[in-house]
Amino acid sequence: MRIEHLVKKYSRFTLGPVDLEIPEGFATALIGENGAGKTTLLDSIAGIHSFTSGNVMWLGTYTDVDEPDVRNGIGYCSSNNFFPDAWTMRNVKRAMPAAFDNFSMDKFRLLCREFRLEDDSGARRPLKILKYSDGNKMRLALAATMARSTKMLILDEPGSSLDPVMRDDLCCRFRSYLAEGGGRTSILFSTHDIADMESAADYVIFMAYGKIIKTGFTEDLRAQYRYVHGDAALADKAHTHLETMYVSGGVFEGLCEIEKAGIFTAADFTDVAVEQPTLRQLSVLLLRGAERRAAESAA
Amino acid sequence: MKILQNSEEPIYQQIAVQFRGQILSGTIQEGSYLPSIRGLAQELKISVITTMKAYEMLAEEGLVTAVQGKGFLVNAQNRELVKEQHLRQVEADLQNAITSAHIAGLTDDELVEMMQTLIRVSHEGE
Repeated sequence: MRIEHLVKKYSRFTLGPVDLEIPEGFATALIGENGAGKTTLLDSIAGIHSFTSGNVMWLGTYTDVDEPDVRNGIGYCSSNNFFPDAWTMRNVKRAMPAAFDNFSMDKFRLLCREFRLEDDSGARRPLKILKYSDGNKMRLALAATMARSTKMLILDEPGSSLDPVMRDDLCCRFRSYLAEGGGRTSILFSTHDIADMESAADYVIFMAYGKIIKTGFTEDLRAQYRYVHGDAALADKAHTHLETMYVSGGVFEGLCEIEKAGIFTAADFTDVAVEQPTLRQLSVLLLRGAERRAAESAA
Repeated sequence: MKILQNSEEPIYQQIAVQFRGQILSGTIQEGSYLPSIRGLAQELKISVITTMKAYEMLAEEGLVTAVQGKGFLVNAQNRELVKEQHLRQVEADLQNAITSAHIAGLTDDELVEMMQTLIRVSHEGE
Protein backbone atom coordinates (compact mmCIF):
# COMPACT_ATOMS: atom_id res chain seq x y z
CA MET A 1 0.00 0.00 0.00
CA ARG A 2 1.32 3.41 -0.93
CA ILE A 3 0.16 6.71 0.54
CA GLU A 4 1.15 10.01 -1.03
CA HIS A 5 0.67 13.47 0.49
CA LEU A 6 -2.42 12.38 2.35
CA VAL A 7 -4.04 15.24 4.26
CA LYS A 8 -7.17 15.19 6.37
CA LYS A 9 -8.21 18.52 7.82
CA TYR A 10 -10.44 19.03 10.82
CA SER A 11 -11.15 22.38 12.41
CA ARG A 12 -8.79 21.65 15.32
CA PHE A 13 -6.52 18.96 13.93
CA THR A 14 -4.70 18.31 10.70
CA LEU A 15 -3.36 14.94 9.68
CA GLY A 16 -0.43 14.95 7.32
CA PRO A 17 0.85 15.40 4.78
CA VAL A 18 1.54 11.68 5.12
CA ASP A 19 3.80 9.80 2.72
CA LEU A 20 4.12 6.12 3.45
CA GLU A 21 4.72 2.77 1.92
CA ILE A 22 3.43 -0.24 3.88
CA PRO A 23 5.63 -3.23 3.00
CA GLU A 24 3.92 -6.36 1.70
CA GLY A 25 4.34 -9.57 3.66
CA PHE A 26 5.02 -7.94 7.01
CA ALA A 27 3.32 -6.68 10.14
CA THR A 28 3.57 -2.90 10.43
CA ALA A 29 2.97 -1.15 13.74
CA LEU A 30 1.70 2.42 13.76
CA ILE A 31 2.96 3.84 17.05
CA GLY A 32 1.97 7.13 18.61
CA GLU A 33 0.42 8.68 21.66
CA ASN A 34 -3.30 9.21 22.06
CA GLY A 35 -4.33 12.03 19.75
CA ALA A 36 -1.36 11.60 17.40
CA GLY A 37 -3.72 10.89 14.50
CA LYS A 38 -3.38 7.11 14.25
CA THR A 39 -7.11 6.43 14.02
CA THR A 40 -7.62 9.30 11.58
CA LEU A 41 -4.92 7.85 9.35
CA LEU A 42 -6.26 4.28 9.55
CA ASP A 43 -9.84 5.40 8.93
CA SER A 44 -8.67 7.42 5.93
CA ILE A 45 -6.86 4.54 4.27
CA ALA A 46 -9.54 2.01 5.20
CA GLY A 47 -12.08 4.15 3.35
CA ILE A 48 -14.15 4.84 6.48
CA HIS A 49 -14.09 8.55 5.78
CA SER A 50 -12.80 10.67 2.94
CA PHE A 51 -9.60 12.66 3.10
CA THR A 52 -8.99 16.26 2.12
CA SER A 53 -6.23 15.62 -0.42
CA GLY A 54 -3.63 13.09 -1.47
CA ASN A 55 -3.51 9.66 -3.09
CA VAL A 56 -3.68 6.13 -1.80
CA MET A 57 -2.77 3.06 -3.81
CA TRP A 58 -4.50 0.00 -2.33
CA LEU A 59 -3.12 -3.54 -2.58
CA GLY A 60 -0.46 -2.35 -5.00
CA THR A 61 -2.77 -1.56 -7.93
CA TYR A 62 -6.07 0.07 -6.99
CA THR A 63 -6.73 3.77 -6.57
CA ASP A 64 -10.38 3.43 -5.60
CA VAL A 65 -11.25 2.13 -2.15
CA ASP A 66 -14.72 1.08 -3.36
CA GLU A 67 -13.34 -1.46 -5.84
CA PRO A 68 -14.77 -4.89 -4.88
CA ASP A 69 -11.25 -6.35 -4.71
CA VAL A 70 -10.22 -3.69 -2.22
CA ARG A 71 -13.38 -4.04 -0.17
CA ASN A 72 -13.01 -7.80 -0.01
CA GLY A 73 -9.24 -7.81 0.21
CA ILE A 74 -8.88 -5.53 3.21
CA GLY A 75 -10.10 -6.51 6.65
CA TYR A 76 -10.58 -3.45 8.79
CA CYS A 77 -11.30 -3.47 12.50
CA SER A 78 -11.91 -0.28 14.49
CA SER A 79 -10.96 0.06 18.14
CA ASN A 80 -14.54 0.44 19.36
CA ASN A 81 -18.15 0.24 18.23
CA PHE A 82 -17.27 -2.13 15.43
CA PHE A 83 -20.72 -3.71 15.77
CA PRO A 84 -23.81 -1.86 17.00
CA ASP A 85 -24.40 -2.19 20.75
CA ALA A 86 -27.88 -3.63 20.28
CA TRP A 87 -26.54 -6.54 18.23
CA THR A 88 -25.86 -10.03 19.55
CA MET A 89 -23.68 -12.87 18.36
CA ARG A 90 -26.64 -13.97 16.24
CA ASN A 91 -26.66 -10.66 14.32
CA VAL A 92 -22.93 -10.89 13.71
CA LYS A 93 -23.22 -14.41 12.31
CA ARG A 94 -25.97 -13.28 9.96
CA ALA A 95 -24.42 -10.00 8.86
CA MET A 96 -20.83 -11.03 8.15
CA PRO A 97 -21.56 -13.66 5.45
CA ALA A 98 -24.06 -11.28 3.86
CA ALA A 99 -21.57 -8.40 3.75
CA PHE A 100 -18.49 -10.29 2.61
CA ASP A 101 -18.08 -13.09 0.06
CA ASN A 102 -14.93 -14.35 1.69
CA PHE A 103 -16.25 -14.81 5.23
CA SER A 104 -15.78 -18.33 6.55
CA MET A 105 -18.20 -19.39 9.28
CA ASP A 106 -15.98 -22.34 10.19
CA LYS A 107 -13.02 -20.06 10.67
CA PHE A 108 -15.14 -17.66 12.71
CA ARG A 109 -16.22 -20.46 15.05
CA LEU A 110 -12.61 -21.60 15.37
CA LEU A 111 -11.42 -18.07 16.16
CA CYS A 112 -14.18 -17.58 18.75
CA ARG A 113 -13.02 -20.77 20.45
CA GLU A 114 -9.39 -19.68 20.27
CA PHE A 115 -10.29 -16.25 21.65
CA ARG A 116 -12.31 -17.98 24.40
CA LEU A 117 -15.44 -16.19 23.28
CA GLU A 118 -18.72 -17.88 24.05
CA ASP A 119 -20.97 -18.44 21.05
CA ASP A 120 -24.42 -17.89 22.57
CA SER A 121 -26.20 -17.38 19.24
CA GLY A 122 -28.24 -20.52 19.93
CA ALA A 123 -29.47 -19.20 23.27
CA ARG A 124 -33.01 -17.92 23.64
CA ARG A 125 -31.77 -14.45 24.52
CA PRO A 126 -28.16 -13.99 23.41
CA LEU A 127 -26.17 -11.31 25.21
CA LYS A 128 -26.23 -7.84 23.67
CA ILE A 129 -22.84 -6.50 22.59
CA LEU A 130 -23.57 -3.53 24.86
CA LYS A 131 -23.09 -5.92 27.80
CA TYR A 132 -19.80 -7.33 26.52
CA SER A 133 -16.58 -6.28 28.26
CA ASP A 134 -14.21 -4.09 26.19
CA GLY A 135 -11.92 -7.08 25.76
CA ASN A 136 -14.71 -9.31 24.51
CA LYS A 137 -15.97 -6.62 22.11
CA MET A 138 -12.49 -6.49 20.61
CA ARG A 139 -12.21 -10.28 20.45
CA LEU A 140 -15.53 -10.50 18.64
CA ALA A 141 -14.52 -7.79 16.16
CA LEU A 142 -11.14 -9.45 15.55
CA ALA A 143 -12.69 -12.91 15.12
CA ALA A 144 -15.17 -11.50 12.59
CA THR A 145 -12.46 -9.62 10.68
CA MET A 146 -9.93 -12.44 10.70
CA ALA A 147 -12.50 -15.04 9.64
CA ARG A 148 -12.41 -13.43 6.21
CA SER A 149 -9.86 -14.44 3.64
CA THR A 150 -8.03 -11.15 3.07
CA LYS A 151 -4.82 -9.72 1.66
CA MET A 152 -4.41 -7.09 4.33
CA LEU A 153 -5.60 -6.44 7.85
CA ILE A 154 -5.94 -2.90 9.16
CA LEU A 155 -6.51 -3.05 12.91
CA ASP A 156 -6.94 -0.03 15.17
CA GLU A 157 -5.54 -0.64 18.68
CA PRO A 158 -6.24 -4.39 18.57
CA GLY A 159 -4.17 -5.10 21.69
CA SER A 160 -5.21 -2.23 23.97
CA SER A 161 -8.24 -3.82 25.58
CA LEU A 162 -6.77 -7.31 25.74
CA ASP A 163 -4.99 -8.91 28.67
CA PRO A 164 -1.34 -9.98 28.25
CA VAL A 165 -2.19 -13.63 27.52
CA MET A 166 -4.69 -12.64 24.85
CA ARG A 167 -2.22 -10.17 23.39
CA ASP A 168 0.30 -12.98 23.08
CA ASP A 169 -2.35 -15.07 21.29
CA LEU A 170 -3.02 -12.14 18.98
CA CYS A 171 0.68 -11.87 18.08
CA CYS A 172 0.65 -15.59 17.24
CA ARG A 173 -2.40 -15.06 15.01
CA PHE A 174 -0.56 -12.23 13.24
CA ARG A 175 2.40 -14.47 12.50
CA SER A 176 0.22 -17.32 11.25
CA TYR A 177 -1.72 -14.89 9.04
CA LEU A 178 1.57 -13.76 7.48
CA ALA A 179 2.86 -17.33 7.19
CA GLU A 180 -0.33 -18.53 5.50
CA GLY A 181 -0.08 -15.64 3.04
CA GLY A 182 3.46 -16.65 2.12
CA GLY A 183 4.62 -13.06 1.76
CA ARG A 184 1.50 -11.76 0.00
CA THR A 185 -0.49 -10.74 3.07
CA SER A 186 0.20 -7.73 5.28
CA ILE A 187 -0.95 -6.33 8.59
CA LEU A 188 -1.13 -2.71 9.67
CA PHE A 189 -2.03 -2.18 13.30
CA SER A 190 -1.90 0.81 15.61
CA THR A 191 -0.86 0.86 19.21
CA HIS A 192 0.11 3.37 21.86
CA ASP A 193 1.97 0.69 23.81
CA ILE A 194 4.27 -1.50 21.76
CA ALA A 195 5.78 -3.39 24.74
CA ASP A 196 3.67 -6.54 24.46
CA MET A 197 3.63 -6.60 20.69
CA GLU A 198 7.29 -6.09 19.95
CA SER A 199 7.71 -9.62 18.67
CA ALA A 200 4.96 -9.11 16.11
CA ALA A 201 6.17 -5.83 14.59
CA ASP A 202 8.42 -6.02 11.55
CA TYR A 203 8.11 -2.45 10.35
CA VAL A 204 7.23 0.55 12.48
CA ILE A 205 5.78 3.96 11.77
CA PHE A 206 6.14 6.54 14.54
CA MET A 207 3.56 9.27 14.55
CA ALA A 208 3.14 12.48 16.55
CA TYR A 209 0.96 15.55 16.12
CA GLY A 210 -0.55 14.28 12.89
CA LYS A 211 2.80 13.71 11.21
CA ILE A 212 5.07 10.75 10.53
CA ILE A 213 8.29 11.23 12.47
CA LYS A 214 10.15 8.01 11.67
CA THR A 215 9.70 4.76 9.75
CA GLY A 216 11.79 1.64 9.33
CA PHE A 217 12.21 -2.07 9.85
CA THR A 218 12.56 -2.79 13.56
CA GLU A 219 15.88 -4.60 13.25
CA ASP A 220 17.33 -1.72 11.21
CA LEU A 221 16.14 0.95 13.66
CA ARG A 222 17.45 -0.98 16.63
CA ALA A 223 20.79 -1.34 14.87
CA GLN A 224 20.82 2.34 13.89
CA TYR A 225 20.57 3.67 17.46
CA ARG A 226 22.03 3.09 20.88
CA TYR A 227 20.11 3.66 24.08
CA VAL A 228 22.30 5.85 26.31
CA HIS A 229 21.50 6.46 29.97
CA GLY A 230 23.24 7.59 33.11
CA ASP A 231 23.41 10.04 35.99
CA ALA A 232 21.52 13.28 35.37
CA ALA A 233 24.68 15.24 36.30
CA LEU A 234 26.16 14.12 32.95
CA ALA A 235 23.10 15.16 30.95
CA ASP A 236 24.51 18.50 29.76
CA LYS A 237 27.71 16.92 28.56
CA ALA A 238 25.91 14.04 26.84
CA HIS A 239 23.22 16.19 25.30
CA THR A 240 25.18 17.41 22.24
CA HIS A 241 25.85 13.84 21.12
CA LEU A 242 22.28 12.63 21.43
CA GLU A 243 19.49 12.81 18.89
CA THR A 244 16.88 12.93 21.62
CA MET A 245 17.23 13.12 25.38
CA TYR A 246 15.21 13.72 28.49
CA VAL A 247 15.93 13.87 32.19
CA SER A 248 13.66 12.50 34.87
CA GLY A 249 14.34 11.39 38.41
CA GLY A 250 18.09 11.27 38.79
CA VAL A 251 18.86 9.94 35.34
CA PHE A 252 19.04 11.05 31.74
CA GLU A 253 18.01 8.82 28.88
CA GLY A 254 18.65 9.36 25.21
CA LEU A 255 19.21 7.90 21.80
CA CYS A 256 22.41 8.33 19.90
CA GLU A 257 23.21 7.31 16.36
CA ILE A 258 25.40 4.22 16.21
CA GLU A 259 28.26 6.14 14.53
CA LYS A 260 28.48 8.45 17.53
CA ALA A 261 28.20 5.74 20.19
CA GLY A 262 32.00 5.54 20.47
CA ILE A 263 32.02 8.96 22.17
CA PHE A 264 30.49 7.39 25.25
CA THR A 265 33.45 5.07 25.76
CA ALA A 266 35.57 8.15 26.60
CA ALA A 267 36.76 8.68 30.18
CA ASP A 268 34.20 11.47 30.77
CA PHE A 269 31.41 8.97 30.33
CA THR A 270 32.56 5.92 32.29
CA ASP A 271 29.31 5.89 34.26
CA VAL A 272 27.12 6.07 31.18
CA ALA A 273 25.48 2.87 29.94
CA VAL A 274 25.19 2.28 26.21
CA GLU A 275 23.05 -0.56 24.88
CA GLN A 276 20.87 -1.63 21.99
CA PRO A 277 17.40 -0.14 22.49
CA THR A 278 14.25 -2.20 22.70
CA LEU A 279 11.40 -1.09 20.48
CA ARG A 280 9.65 0.31 23.54
CA GLN A 281 12.68 2.43 24.47
CA LEU A 282 12.94 3.65 20.88
CA SER A 283 9.25 4.56 20.91
CA VAL A 284 9.36 6.49 24.17
CA LEU A 285 12.46 8.47 23.23
CA LEU A 286 11.47 9.25 19.64
CA LEU A 287 8.01 10.35 20.75
CA ARG A 288 9.46 12.43 23.58
CA GLY A 289 11.80 14.06 21.09
CA ALA A 290 8.84 14.98 18.88
CA GLU A 291 6.99 16.34 21.91
CA ARG A 292 9.92 18.55 22.79
CA ARG A 293 10.33 19.88 19.26
CA ALA A 294 6.61 20.67 19.13
CA ALA A 295 6.87 22.53 22.45
CA GLU A 296 9.89 24.48 21.21
CA SER A 297 8.25 25.49 17.95
CA ALA A 298 5.11 26.56 19.81
CA ALA A 299 7.16 28.76 22.16
CA MET B 1 16.12 -24.30 17.99
CA LYS B 2 17.02 -22.55 21.21
CA ILE B 3 16.44 -18.81 21.39
CA LEU B 4 17.25 -16.62 24.40
CA GLN B 5 14.81 -13.71 24.41
CA ASN B 6 16.77 -11.57 26.86
CA SER B 7 20.30 -12.24 25.71
CA GLU B 8 23.00 -9.72 24.85
CA GLU B 9 23.33 -11.59 21.58
CA PRO B 10 20.67 -10.39 19.12
CA ILE B 11 18.05 -13.00 18.24
CA TYR B 12 18.87 -12.92 14.52
CA GLN B 13 22.47 -13.75 15.38
CA GLN B 14 21.43 -16.66 17.60
CA ILE B 15 19.42 -18.08 14.71
CA ALA B 16 22.25 -17.56 12.23
CA VAL B 17 24.79 -19.24 14.53
CA GLN B 18 22.61 -22.33 14.93
CA PHE B 19 21.89 -22.69 11.22
CA ARG B 20 25.55 -22.08 10.40
CA GLY B 21 26.51 -24.94 12.71
CA GLN B 22 23.94 -27.26 11.19
CA ILE B 23 24.95 -26.39 7.63
CA LEU B 24 28.68 -26.78 8.25
CA SER B 25 28.23 -30.06 10.10
CA GLY B 26 26.04 -31.36 7.30
CA THR B 27 22.96 -31.75 9.52
CA ILE B 28 21.19 -29.56 6.99
CA GLN B 29 22.25 -30.89 3.61
CA GLU B 30 23.21 -28.92 0.54
CA GLY B 31 20.40 -28.56 -1.95
CA SER B 32 17.74 -28.41 0.76
CA TYR B 33 15.86 -25.28 1.76
CA LEU B 34 15.85 -23.55 5.13
CA PRO B 35 12.38 -23.32 6.76
CA SER B 36 10.32 -20.50 5.24
CA ILE B 37 10.93 -17.10 6.82
CA ARG B 38 7.35 -16.63 7.97
CA GLY B 39 6.98 -20.24 9.04
CA LEU B 40 10.06 -19.99 11.24
CA ALA B 41 8.90 -16.68 12.71
CA GLN B 42 5.60 -18.32 13.60
CA GLU B 43 7.35 -21.32 15.12
CA LEU B 44 9.81 -19.28 17.18
CA LYS B 45 7.30 -16.55 18.09
CA ILE B 46 9.54 -13.80 16.76
CA SER B 47 9.06 -11.16 14.10
CA VAL B 48 9.38 -11.97 10.41
CA ILE B 49 12.07 -9.33 9.93
CA THR B 50 14.25 -10.97 12.59
CA THR B 51 14.30 -14.33 10.81
CA MET B 52 14.84 -12.54 7.52
CA LYS B 53 17.87 -10.76 8.91
CA ALA B 54 19.32 -14.07 10.13
CA TYR B 55 18.89 -15.61 6.67
CA GLU B 56 20.43 -12.57 5.00
CA MET B 57 23.48 -12.97 7.24
CA LEU B 58 23.86 -16.59 6.12
CA ALA B 59 23.42 -15.53 2.49
CA GLU B 60 26.16 -12.90 2.85
CA GLU B 61 28.49 -15.59 4.15
CA GLY B 62 27.70 -17.67 1.08
CA LEU B 63 26.19 -20.51 3.11
CA VAL B 64 22.79 -20.13 1.47
CA THR B 65 21.36 -18.42 -1.62
CA ALA B 66 18.01 -16.65 -1.83
CA VAL B 67 15.93 -18.18 -4.62
CA GLN B 68 13.09 -15.96 -5.83
CA GLY B 69 9.76 -17.42 -4.80
CA LYS B 70 11.26 -20.56 -3.28
CA GLY B 71 13.23 -19.56 -0.22
CA PHE B 72 16.79 -19.98 0.96
CA LEU B 73 18.77 -22.79 -0.66
CA VAL B 74 21.67 -24.38 1.22
CA ASN B 75 24.81 -24.18 -0.92
CA ALA B 76 27.48 -26.81 -1.34
CA GLN B 77 30.09 -26.12 1.32
CA ASN B 78 33.81 -26.22 0.76
CA ARG B 79 34.59 -29.03 3.24
CA GLU B 80 38.37 -28.53 3.07
CA LEU B 81 38.01 -24.87 3.87
CA VAL B 82 35.63 -25.58 6.74
CA LYS B 83 37.99 -28.21 8.14
CA GLU B 84 40.93 -25.82 7.83
CA GLN B 85 38.99 -23.18 9.80
CA HIS B 86 38.19 -25.66 12.54
CA LEU B 87 41.83 -26.78 12.77
CA ARG B 88 42.95 -23.20 13.18
CA GLN B 89 40.40 -22.75 15.95
CA VAL B 90 41.68 -25.88 17.74
CA GLU B 91 45.27 -24.57 17.52
CA ALA B 92 44.27 -21.20 18.91
CA ASP B 93 42.33 -22.74 21.80
CA LEU B 94 45.18 -25.12 22.66
CA GLN B 95 47.62 -22.21 22.57
CA ASN B 96 45.39 -20.40 25.09
CA ALA B 97 45.41 -23.50 27.31
CA ILE B 98 49.22 -23.69 27.17
CA THR B 99 49.55 -20.01 28.10
CA SER B 100 47.17 -20.43 31.03
CA ALA B 101 49.00 -23.60 32.16
CA HIS B 102 52.31 -21.70 32.26
CA ILE B 103 50.75 -18.95 34.34
CA ALA B 104 49.32 -21.56 36.73
CA GLY B 105 52.73 -23.24 36.99
CA LEU B 106 51.64 -26.58 35.51
CA THR B 107 54.32 -28.83 34.02
CA ASP B 108 53.95 -30.04 30.45
CA ASP B 109 53.19 -33.57 31.68
CA GLU B 110 50.49 -32.31 34.02
CA LEU B 111 48.89 -30.39 31.18
CA VAL B 112 48.89 -33.43 28.90
CA GLU B 113 47.41 -35.52 31.70
CA MET B 114 44.67 -32.98 32.27
CA MET B 115 43.93 -32.97 28.55
CA GLN B 116 43.62 -36.77 28.50
CA THR B 117 41.29 -36.73 31.51
CA LEU B 118 39.08 -34.14 29.82
CA ILE B 119 38.95 -36.16 26.63
CA ARG B 120 37.93 -39.24 28.62
CA VAL B 121 35.22 -37.34 30.43
CA SER B 122 33.84 -35.89 27.22
CA HIS B 123 33.71 -39.39 25.64
CA GLU B 124 31.83 -40.70 28.66
CA GLY B 125 29.32 -37.88 28.20
CA GLU B 126 28.54 -38.94 24.64
